[in-house]
This record gives sequence, structure tokens and C-alpha cells, in this order.
Amino acid sequence: MKSASKRKPAAGIVSIGRVATQSGAETRSLKDFLERLKRRLPDDLIYIDSAVSPAEFEVTALLQHLENEKKFPALFFAKPINLKGKPAAFPLLSNLFATRARCALALEMEPDQERLPLSLEYARREELLLSPVTIPGRDAPVKEVTKSGSAADLYELPVVRHHAMDPAPYIDMTPVMKDPDGGFYNAAFMRTMVKGERKLGLHMSPRHNWQIHRKHEEKKRPTPVAIVVSHHPAFYLGALNVSPFGVDDYARIGAIMGAPLRLTASETWGAEFMVPADAEMIIEGHVLPGVKEVEGPFGEFTGYYGPQRLRNVVEVTAITHRRDAVFQHIFTGHRDTWVLGGIPKEGSLFNLIRGIVPTTKAVHFPLSGCCRFNCYISIDKKVDGETKQAALAALGGCDFVKHVVVVDADIDIYSEEEVMWAVATRVQADQDVDIIKNVKGNTLDPSQTDNIMTAKMIIDATRPLQRPFAARVEVPKAAMQKTRLEDFIARATLDRLKRS
Amino acid sequence: MTKIFWVTCPYCKGEFYCHWQELRHKKIELLCPYCNRRFLDEESPKIVE
Repeated sequence: MKSASKRKPAAGIVSIGRVATQSGAETRSLKDFLERLKRRLPDDLIYIDSAVSPAEFEVTALLQHLENEKKFPALFFAKPINLKGKPAAFPLLSNLFATRARCALALEMEPDQERLPLSLEYARREELLLSPVTIPGRDAPVKEVTKSGSAADLYELPVVRHHAMDPAPYIDMTPVMKDPDGGFYNAAFMRTMVKGERKLGLHMSPRHNWQIHRKHEEKKRPTPVAIVVSHHPAFYLGALNVSPFGVDDYARIGAIMGAPLRLTASETWGAEFMVPADAEMIIEGHVLPGVKEVEGPFGEFTGYYGPQRLRNVVEVTAITHRRDAVFQHIFTGHRDTWVLGGIPKEGSLFNLIRGIVPTTKAVHFPLSGCCRFNCYISIDKKVDGETKQAALAALGGCDFVKHVVVVDADIDIYSEEEVMWAVATRVQADQDVDIIKNVKGNTLDPSQTDNIMTAKMIIDATRPLQRPFAARVEVPKAAMQKTRLEDFIARATLDRLKRS
Repeated sequence: MTKIFWVTCPYCKGEFYCHWQELRHKKIELLCPYCNRRFLDEESPKIVE
């Protein structure tokens, strides 16, 4: 059992903006990002000095009020209450990923590159690997304070209870596991229910971390897990990469962050299990073999509750953090999770589809489909049939995709109104809609009537090439250029007009 | 979604739902998310499945 502040200041380290370490490796920290956010998008980050109780829905109530007004700032709560009902030692950061502009900023891009350029840049980086670098614990910010054994207490944290049917506060960031055979690490967003001072319930979908846990469980061994509770937002965008099982997520996340991830030995397993050195906070523990308890319901990314289930249990062994650590959560079931989840999928699908249909212009996962279930594709169609090729590639390339709408290049797929206009005016349901039955679906999709399988749909909302088709109305371009709005209506009046 | 059943907490009458295959007729205590008390599904005054 220990509780210590042990990091020694290292001489010669620059501590402004992107930090260059003595080894030359750049670091990415959450606080660097928040400074950048304040400079570039000052209205995007709101500091709240009043005390709030995250476990009593006060944080999510504020987020819901803002959402009702169609406002999506990141909120920095300076004085949250912890699970003991006392002022927490950590501020709480919320809703950071709710806009694409902030995600662009997280990847060191310009906010106005938030649409296709952001997705493509993500896809470009996702094809790279940047080997992580290792630093000693004494230089690792996340080891400034270490608490293990009974000193590690989840109740000291300002954990958020999100929705009415959630039975407890949940930490909803990224558990990392290490494959016992391949030695690679996997990071994924997963919900963990606070069940005690050192006990969490862990929900795993049958994906990569679940496979790693199964390997340990078959040998009746506990699975080491490190939950990265808070870090630079690019870490979390990187954690959502869609690489196949076997790719080291630490190397992939480094590539997406644009700098090698700095790792340090964990408190619990030493160099056998490395953890991100520049994180704000990490919770270490073991997923117990053969132990399952009731967990949930939990308000999931779909906007519905996932049911109460029998899920794994984590026994917490240590909590390490920066001296001035920020605690982070995402507002699951809202834009904060939707935007975050969509960007990584758009870029990789764009590259895949363009390899098959070279005139593909853009791929977008709209908010209306939780940035997962609906996929819009625009193509400059040259031959009938390309539409279906593009749609099938999307369905095959990402198992979340349920409905694909393919439109012509004149449609802005970032505008739901334009896409639905194309559906309204270019689709005959008996000719342009295809339904594919019995495909692997998502267990959290409430419309699904089978445990595993779902139906997928392709809507071809492109104009046919085989017959003459009506032309879209257009005010003459010359008139548009000659007749300027400001010459007839004052700019101040224009600025006062509400967007509808 | 996987098959679910709605239960009513016998203590606080709060309603929530559970995974049918894992928790229906399994003699496993369910956890009421509203009052945090535990009960068996057969103790629920109302089940919708």
C-alpha cells in the first residue's frame, strides 16, 4: 500500500505547447490541447466554477439543457463532487468530442477542415504505425501520484452518472489490454460501472479486448487491464482505429496522434504491462476469471439503454495520476460519442470505396444514425451499377453500417436535408432500394429482432444514366455573381437573422 | 437488440429491463437501478416479455 508523490522535475524540458522531451520525442497532453482550444475556439470551452454533483445527474442535466438548445461546448467543471459527497481533487472535463471542429483541432488540423479533410487525414494516419517510446516512471507525468492497494479509491473520483436508468456512476473511457500471445496492446471504449471502492463491472462486446480476456480466462488467469481515464483527445480518436486484431494499438494511436506514444511501466505489473506516460489518470486492475455479476442497464451510444446483463468484474489494484490531473468522461448516447465514433470510420471507408469506385467524392456517417448505422456516400457516377458497388463496399468494410444512401456529387452529404431531398426526388422504392437479410448486426440496436442478425438496406438516390432525367433548378450564375446580398440588406441585419 | 424483459422492482416499483437469456428464470438477483435493492425476477409484481 502506498500513496506517494515521486516525480522529480527533469531539467531542460520545455513545457509550453507541444513538449519536446530530452529524448526528442514530442508529447501530447490534455492540458496542451485545452490551451490550444482556448486560443483557437474560445467559445468552445466553458469553465464552470460552481460545485456540481456528477453522480446525481447534475453534469448530464446541464449537457442535456445545452443539447436542447443545440449547443455543444466542452464543459470544464472546476469543483465537482466525488463519490464520497466531498469536493473532488480533480476537475471534470465533459463533451470534448461533441463537434468535428474540436476533433480536427485534436489532430492538429484547422477547425474548418472538419469535414472530409479530417476523415481523410485520419485515414492517412491510420495506415501508419509509430513505435512507442519508453520512459522511466520518474519522468512519467501519470506517475506523479501513485496509489495502490487500499489507497486506490474509486470513490475519490468525480464519476458521472449519465441517465435515469443507469444504476451507478460509470467510467466510460478506454480500457487497454495486452494480448498474451502476440504481446500487442488493444484499447477500446468500454463502460465500467462503479461497484465499490476498488470494484468495477466491465461490459465487453465480443471484439478485441474480449478476445484477449478469453485467452486469459481459458487459463483461469486474471486479465490485466489499464483504464486510460483521461488523456489528449487524439489518444481517444486513435483508440477508435479500425485496425485488425493483432495490430498494436499503442503504435497505431501514436501514428494518429502524430507523435510516438510515450509509455512507462505500470504500477501493478511493471514492464510486463506498459501504460501511456502522458495520460492524466490511469486505473489499473484485473478482470477476474470466471466471475460475472449483474451490470447495467446503461444508456448506450444508440440513444437507448442496453439491458442489465451478467458482465465481468474488475478488481482495481492501483490508480496513478498527474498531480493536477483532469478527470474525463464522454456523454454516451449523444454527440460526444457519435462524432468521436464516426470520424475514424469515414476515412477508412472512403479509402476502401474509392479503390472500387474511383469517382467517390465523400463518405459521411451522419448524426441521425449515431454516426454508425447510416452511411452517406457521394459519387460522380459514370456507369450504372457503381452505386451498388460503393454501397456493398461500405457494408462489407464496417459492420456497424446498416443503411447506405448513395447520392450524386451535387449533393452535400453533410446536409441531411440535401440527402433526404435526393431520396425524395431520385428514388423509386421498387427499383432503387435493396434489402439484404441475415447479416451480422449490433446487439445494442433496439430494432433488431434477432440476437445477432440484422437486415441492411441500400438506397440508390443517384440519377439514372440510362434515361433522360429532370434538371435541378438553378438561379443563373451570372445573376448570383452580379446581385450581392449586402447591396440590398445591411450586414448587421443579415447577422441577426437566425439560421433555420 | 438481444431479447429483453421488463421488470418492476418490488420495493420502489421502478421499471427497467434485463437480458432475457442471461437473467430470466436464472435465480440470479437483479439490481434495481433506482433504489439499488436486489430481487429475483419472480418477485417482480410485473414482468413484460
